[in-house]
Amino acid sequence: MSYKIPMGPYHPALEEPYKLDMICEGETVIDAKLHIGFNFRGIEHLAETRNHIQVIALMERVCGICSNIHTLTLCNAMEKLTNLTPPPRAQYIRVIMAELERLHSHVLWAGIAAKLMGFKTMFMTCFEIREKVMDVLAAISGNRVNYSMNRIGGVNRDITDPQAILKMVEKLEGEMLRTVIPIFTTSRTAASRCAGVGVLTHEKALSLGVVGPVARASGVPQDLRKAAPYAAYAEMEFDVPVQPAGDVTARLLVRALEIMESCKILKQALSKLPPGEIATEGEKFVFTTGTGTARVEAPRGEVMYSVSWKEGSRNPARVHVRTPTFAVMPAIRWMVKGARLADTPLIQASIDPCYSCTDR
Amino acid sequence: MSVLESIPEKLGSTEPFIEKGGVHWLTLGALNVRQLAEVMNSLHARFITITAYQLPKEEGFRLEYHWDLDGQLLGFPFVLTGNSIESIFDLCEAADWIEREIHEEYSLEFTGREYEPLLLRQGDETGVNLRDGVATSNAVAAK
Repeated sequence: MSYKIPMGPYHPALEEPYKLDMICEGETVIDAKLHIGFNFRGIEHLAETRNHIQVIALMERVCGICSNIHTLTLCNAMEKLTNLTPPPRAQYIRVIMAELERLHSHVLWAGIAAKLMGFKTMFMTCFEIREKVMDVLAAISGNRVNYSMNRIGGVNRDITDPQAILKMVEKLEGEMLRTVIPIFTTSRTAASRCAGVGVLTHEKALSLGVVGPVARASGVPQDLRKAAPYAAYAEMEFDVPVQPAGDVTARLLVRALEIMESCKILKQALSKLPPGEIATEGEKFVFTTGTGTARVEAPRGEVMYSVSWKEGSRNPARVHVRTPTFAVMPAIRWMVKGARLADTPLIQASIDPCYSCTDR
Repeated sequence: MSVLESIPEKLGSTEPFIEKGGVHWLTLGALNVRQLAEVMNSLHARFITITAYQLPKEEGFRLEYHWDLDGQLLGFPFVLTGNSIESIFDLCEAADWIEREIHEEYSLEFTGREYEPLLLRQGDETGVNLRDGVATSNAVAAK
């Protein structure tokens, strides 16, 4: 006999509101249905009522974790409409901010995953390290969440002492190497809760068009930083971790390895930070009629912005945002099929979902 | 001939892709969106999204379909004079949520599929969010 178990929209196992209706037989999940929209704010519509400065502040609030990525993608799209190219120093600072944000997002996720595994000490360790990443972000931008770093044609704040930031990053890398990486890659607690759980096969990952660490954990080697480099990524040397198993362990490993790759990129960018301006100061610009489209590899995968403008207009005609969680969330249904009911909170968390991004 | 260059021929188009702002655009005349989805599937391109625009003065809507082909962003615009276009959901399951979202935001129909609510809650109306000239029945009643 099958029965339905609803999880959400407000549930202790979910960080934000969404709903998973699961059809179970005994302890096994047979099928599931997802419901989103509980955080819907109509941000795309609001964007049509904001000018080119206000819209950046608005889109920074699409997500509380990867706020910088949203303004970076938006500015990249608007720069295509204004024919502005940020100076090299600004491109490097954009890379530094994006990688710090990836670090803080991945460590935050690791903490939440540890909590759902019942590994509370690891949760505390991750959140302690995450605080230190946020200290670095605050040292650069003055802010912990909404950094206000990006503008059309560059960035708002310079990194005046890259050596000091480099020392902070090296210290962080040391702590990750001592704690997060070995525990997540070798701990029996992590392995026993994650191995073989919530599998998304390679074929299904391709069919669903999933992105980011979830795709890479199912053996799909896609990363826009390599495939379609933006900012200064073409000048950075790094690897794209890929795992074939498609289970929660694979997602854990991909993110753990990406933390180390981010540290590698940060060290390169901070030591090679070119001199010069941080924005195209004093250069007048106008928006040309048309659509500017940009894609960026956010911590959770590909973000895409399409911005449409009419020459002479004060506000954009349309801003469309395709966030990574919007592409990845439908995969939860396939991950929980056949899983034990007790594993479903961890499985849904393993995609690092952002409902705020999804609902917009 | 690169894979990208071979696509117009596969789609029966004599026009090449035009690269603008990092997007390779191809305007397809008589071809329908389902044929496009089949060709994209055969090339193992990754579906990204559909962006909908409402055109001014009741000219209809423009839907831009995007796929990724080995890091290259492809764009295919379709102009709708009416309110509907064929669904590609059965050919490309990655298009499920975005078709549902556009249906709810613009009140457009993707024919050949069934919908379940995505962002909307019980009692909400389609088209209110982004389609010009659509107001909720509550707002109309208030006026």
